[in-house]
Amino acid sequence: MDWTSGRRPTAMRREQNLALLGAVVSGAVIATGLILLIIARVNPDGAARLRGAMLDLLTPVWSVVRLPFDGIGRGVDVAGDYFGAVTRARRLEAELAEARAALQARDADRVALMQLRRVARVAEPGRRAIVTTRIVAATAGAMTRTALIAAGRSEGVTAGLPVVGADGLIGRTIEAGSGAARVLLLTDPASRIPVTIVRTGQAALVVGANRPRLELRDRVGADVPLAAGDRLVTSGDGGVFPPGIPVGTIVDPREPPQVRPAASPLGAAYVRVEAAYLPLPADSTPAVAESATPVPVEALRSGARPRAAPAAPALR
Amino acid sequence: MRDLPPWRLMTPAERRRHWQRQWRLAIPGLSVVVLIFLMTAPLLVPVPVFPQLALLGVLVWTTARPGLMPSWLAFGLGLIADLAFGQPLGLDATLFALAVAVVRLVEMRQRLDLRLFDWPLALAVVTLFELGAWALMTLAGQPIPLLPLGWQLVTSLAAYPLVVAYCIGVQRLGFGRGFGSEPGR
Repeated sequence: MDWTSGRRPTAMRREQNLALLGAVVSGAVIATGLILLIIARVNPDGAARLRGAMLDLLTPVWSVVRLPFDGIGRGVDVAGDYFGAVTRARRLEAELAEARAALQARDADRVALMQLRRVARVAEPGRRAIVTTRIVAATAGAMTRTALIAAGRSEGVTAGLPVVGADGLIGRTIEAGSGAARVLLLTDPASRIPVTIVRTGQAALVVGANRPRLELRDRVGADVPLAAGDRLVTSGDGGVFPPGIPVGTIVDPREPPQVRPAASPLGAAYVRVEAAYLPLPADSTPAVAESATPVPVEALRSGARPRAAPAAPALR
Repeated sequence: MRDLPPWRLMTPAERRRHWQRQWRLAIPGLSVVVLIFLMTAPLLVPVPVFPQLALLGVLVWTTARPGLMPSWLAFGLGLIADLAFGQPLGLDATLFALAVAVVRLVEMRQRLDLRLFDWPLALAVVTLFELGAWALMTLAGQPIPLLPLGWQLVTSLAAYPLVVAYCIGVQRLGFGRGFGSEPGR
């Protein structure tokens, strides 16, 4: 560098100014990102319209791109079906015999249950399918475990609906565009499913951990030992998931108990989006204000409300 | 672009040609958008096992053509990635811009030719990305476990040469031969 001259050469000055400008822009951009993240913490549903538009862009492209792969996959499946057909048929026959015996016992139970419900006047909201659609894309590379389905607001799909596969629960919708929606899978760390352990009747939460297995947490009555093979079904608590949908099986009862999901979204190309079991009323304050005696909100939701305002889902 | 005379000396036809060539400045950004789209492939794995293709794309363009991958562009690409993956808005945006800034800083301080040891650099950047994602997800109120992200580190490193090959291909299509031979600033 020329020390005698007081001025730096123009080119060098320009480069230094540009570098300084670049550093300032980088800092500003990173600060903006952090501010966006804090906004996302305060208001997770922000930018919902942008997210919906992005879903509508992504999903149709993947629907077309995956067509040839679906054909190849079906071909492989058909070929695989022929191999090992005999052993599978024998195994299925054995299972069928067991299932028939269990079914007879179940029939008797069902009759008894119906009689009891009639006696106790239990009003149960029914399950209602909104649409059956397919999974078209997923986020295998991201921090969240979500899948994209090819049905959106135009089919009646909104955020907060249960998504069920052939073998059990897949997840729930969290965003909806006009022709596509995003499903939060059970394996996502943000997923919380209220379940009942079928053998013991205990309530618990099934939580995802970004791993193939799920974790069972917040079990009511943790002193009752669990066993590998205990089945978990949705309990209906929280009002999103209808009760009785298979969620998984306990494979390791040590704390925290490990759960294998009943349905794998990988195999479930087609899924059913159902209406929320007991959707929260849009405005619950008037219902509470109308009754003269204070009634717990839970009791109101479970159907113990005044005759004048029956639960809307029960009428469907 | 460089063989053209200065603006005032151009004939109208040359000026038109100059403007028609400007779209090529969008090539790096578009190529990363394609990588983001690839990352939404319908692979329903319970573990974050798919490589961070978009981050690697940003990294390759930053080391090879720094002028075409400024931090604000990386920020915009990160926003697209956040929308596509359903992540908290700002997660990938912050980390992509940060990755560009870190690479610039390393390059400036160390006076290194990063193209000579790009794989160790990719290892360092992806490791920092996973740690940063873990920390920022906690900041955004959606904490995630750290260990499963290790899978992504491994697959990302394995996928790095593929992304480099892809970027070289895109570069040759868009700008002609000689990827990496000129700094591009």
